[in-house]
Amino acid sequence: MDVTADANPRFDLSSALSLVKSIYSLVIVLVLWEAVAQLGLIHYYFLPPLSDIIMRFVELTLNGQMLYNAYLTLMRAMVGLAIASVFGVLVGVLSAQNDLVDWFFDPIIKIGYPVPIISLIPVFMLWFGIGDISKIIMVAVGTFWPVAINARDSTRQVETKLLWSAKMMGTSDRRLLWRVVMPAAMPGILTGFQIAMPLSLIITFVFEMVAGGGGLGALEIAGVRSFESTQVYAAIIAIMLIGIALDRLLRMARGRLLHWT
Amino acid sequence: MGYATSRHIEGLPAPLQRVAGALVDWIPLAIVVVLWDLISGAVVATAILPAPGTVAGKIVELFVTGQVFSHLYISLFRVVVGLGLSIIAGILLGIGMARSDPVENFFDVFLAMTYPIPKTALVPLAILWLGVGTSTAILIVFLACLLPIVLNSYNAAGNVDQNLIWSAEMMGTEGRDVLLKVIFPATIPEILTGIRQAVPIAFVALVSAELIASNQGMGYLILTSGQIGNYPRMFANIVVISAVAFVAVRLFEEVRERWLVWT
Amino acid sequence: MDGRVSISELEKVYGEGAERTKAIEDLTFEVDGGEFASVVGPSGCGKSTLLYLIAGFLDVTSGTISVDGNPIQGPGTDRGVVFQNYALFPWRTVFENVTYGLEEDGVPKEERQSIAQQYIDMVDLSGFEEKYPKELSGGMKQRVALARTLAYEPKILLMDEPFGALDQPLRESLQDQLLDIWGDLEKTVVFITHDVEEAVYLSERVMIMTRHPGTKKTVSEINLDRSGSREEIVTSDAFADYKNTVWKSLHEETQTEVTL
Repeated sequence: MDVTADANPRFDLSSALSLVKSIYSLVIVLVLWEAVAQLGLIHYYFLPPLSDIIMRFVELTLNGQMLYNAYLTLMRAMVGLAIASVFGVLVGVLSAQNDLVDWFFDPIIKIGYPVPIISLIPVFMLWFGIGDISKIIMVAVGTFWPVAINARDSTRQVETKLLWSAKMMGTSDRRLLWRVVMPAAMPGILTGFQIAMPLSLIITFVFEMVAGGGGLGALEIAGVRSFESTQVYAAIIAIMLIGIALDRLLRMARGRLLHWT
Repeated sequence: MGYATSRHIEGLPAPLQRVAGALVDWIPLAIVVVLWDLISGAVVATAILPAPGTVAGKIVELFVTGQVFSHLYISLFRVVVGLGLSIIAGILLGIGMARSDPVENFFDVFLAMTYPIPKTALVPLAILWLGVGTSTAILIVFLACLLPIVLNSYNAAGNVDQNLIWSAEMMGTEGRDVLLKVIFPATIPEILTGIRQAVPIAFVALVSAELIASNQGMGYLILTSGQIGNYPRMFANIVVISAVAFVAVRLFEEVRERWLVWT
Repeated sequence: MDGRVSISELEKVYGEGAERTKAIEDLTFEVDGGEFASVVGPSGCGKSTLLYLIAGFLDVTSGTISVDGNPIQGPGTDRGVVFQNYALFPWRTVFENVTYGLEEDGVPKEERQSIAQQYIDMVDLSGFEEKYPKELSGGMKQRVALARTLAYEPKILLMDEPFGALDQPLRESLQDQLLDIWGDLEKTVVFITHDVEEAVYLSERVMIMTRHPGTKKTVSEINLDRSGSREEIVTSDAFADYKNTVWKSLHEETQTEVTL
């Protein structure tokens, strides 16, 4: 099992068979779902038929709501993540290279890391309101930690002999960072992004569910409040699609940047 | 601490070293607290950022008046049950998938699909099904912790040294017992790593659920304190739940150290 | 000739207070320009430390290390190191690894490329220029490491058990390649190894170090007739004599350690 693997079927019998083998359980569940829902075995409110959910999804896409809310969520998460990435890598790398910076940030990192960042949502609502900026800042603060920690640890773990090799071939201490340390630490730094990305989405969703202001989280909770369960499921499907897309994107980027691993 | 500071500390006589070491480690935090104190009231209104003293006082008040206990208890209950259930289910599922192809084929696609969904996105759905309250919170915690534990169990069970299995078989262990006596113990270290990862996730899931879908618990307290404008109490609650999360992780690491004495 | 290494009363101490250890004690040794010298010694005697001190990666505690009369000041392009674990830059291709030193030296692109190609050919890796280290075997990686160090033409080659991680046939083949290259380029070589046969086969002089804390114990001159084939050299009486001498000296150092 590899939850991160890509199933890329070429169309011949044996791969068709293996494809069936890998998704048959899903198909069974989906068929059961539709059947149970259509037969009214479970109340519509809890489990609308798949067909209705898909129709609602299409409806929301057509009237623009789906795209608009998806855009809001993505924008908030990605901008926050971008900010956190810049600062996180900076602080992380500096911490690894400079004792003073490390001494200062290490306990902050140790204490900040296990704080469930989600619990600070009310604080951010207080400080920055319930708009986009507030959400972006919160995402930035929340995703800073995994980025910084991974950047710091992977910089520290750069093999000393690589640094020595560069020095013996004439690289000055100043140029070492750019020439050797960064490329060598890149895998670890990217791992930090991989951890930070789902976190950015979580923070955004919860903030939207609590505070409103549009976005897929708000869309989903609105479905609950107005007893439109198809909307709830449709929003979840959208979230799933976005999650898959971003995950793929990140892995592709990692594959290209780190083609040498 | 940095190399330079540790060198200086090593120059001190032995008994002072430990004290000096502890002090130096905490100085940056002390600086943060001092800055906090300075900013509060002077740069920023105390309403927005209550002074550390006020917050500390509130924390004490919370415990002394017992206001916090019922909520803290509920939150802990939810975390423990949710995490506990996910551990049991996760280990069974992970090891089952690793050692049995049919099991793996069945569940693989579901795991692959839920992997990219942040489980907190399912909170509204949980409200739909279970309403607002403890069962929703437990469900979310359970779902959020499941994947890391399944993955770690799966990897561990898949990598058990074949030689260990053969040794046991040669000494008479059969079928089912191999699973119990060899595979499970061999996978414990990695499973514990998975649980270690799941603990902070559990608290994030808990607070998320309590902010959105609950009338009790620490998350609920934080939210309502904010809504009625009692900001010192809001901050106090945040400190309390953060401290609990921190302690939970440390506690778990201690347990893991003791248990894994044989690694 | 250039590339003379002079080590005088070298001492290297690690740690402070209760954890103070002396790795190298009062070591004095000279390697002439163009000479091939090996250093052998029991584990922990400090031979790698010695190499890193000569390379300038570590600072001496007391004593001096000079190259052609000038005391060294940190790492420099006059001394090149080949590590046992290759230390190749994994994000660079074979070709890019070899040109690294030339890039640092500001050599213009076309010249860089022809020099690098020359050394890649010298270590028999033509055709592998675009490969990444992860795609190479151990022996190939070591050859890249060698080419990389040779490319910017340091006067002195410092080799830290470079063939230790490789199997016997590969080791022998690389030893012969190294001798050929040394014959062509006439560099000074300081070669660390724990393999007595390898030391005797390759070198003109072998320094045996005492066990920890390491200092110079004995130095053997090796005057082998290397005109014949490998088999002829290795099976000759002279070879056996030299090997025995070195081995005995080394064995005295390890003898007192192992008391099972």
